[in-house]
Amino acid sequence: MSFTYFRITLLRSAIGLPRRSTDVLKALGLKKRMATVFHPVSPSVAGQIMRVKELVSVQEVEQALTKQQVHLERKPDPGYYVEKSCVEERGEMLGQ
Amino acid sequence: MFKPTNALFSGLLWKTPWRLSSPQKARQRKRLRAVDRVVDTLSAALERNGHTTKAVNRWFAEMPREEEMLPKDKYTLFDKKEKTYRKSIHKLPKWTRVSQRVNPPGF
Repeated sequence: MSFTYFRITLLRSAIGLPRRSTDVLKALGLKKRMATVFHPVSPSVAGQIMRVKELVSVQEVEQALTKQQVHLERKPDPGYYVEKSCVEERGEMLGQ
Repeated sequence: MFKPTNALFSGLLWKTPWRLSSPQKARQRKRLRAVDRVVDTLSAALERNGHTTKAVNRWFAEMPREEEMLPKDKYTLFDKKEKTYRKSIHKLPKWTRVSQRVNPPGF
């Protein structure tokens, strides 16, 4: 049986809200706005999300991504691609 | 040119509008729907994995959805000190980040 993940993004900060809200966000690993974390679907995580439901957006996803992968999703297309690195080019020149 | 207004005469005078503007109301509806969406996602995900959670069940049992709510409950809340027993929801502290959906029955 495969289990799925909650993809949780903090959209609104908990500044000025009761201490509990801040603590729940900390427990979920959300330290600043627009931070994204993944947690396996479980009643305890669902209960935590219920405490901060006004502050987050939640999706159910098949795979948990790493921080780098989440960052790459947002990265725009640079408009070019690297054919060859200078190290390779130098190697070829020396090999001649 | 000096214009004598209450805000300029006294040191600190905050003027909070008495009523919500229509864009404020639209954003309030949007936030209510966003919370509904989060709870729906949680409930669907838990069901698929064969779990239940008390907090989610309780929300569905007690709280109306955005489309089920009366405009009165979306934009105002009970206040015993008001003549009409209702005040605009933007008087509630942190009103954009708290769920205030139900009011005492009969008011």
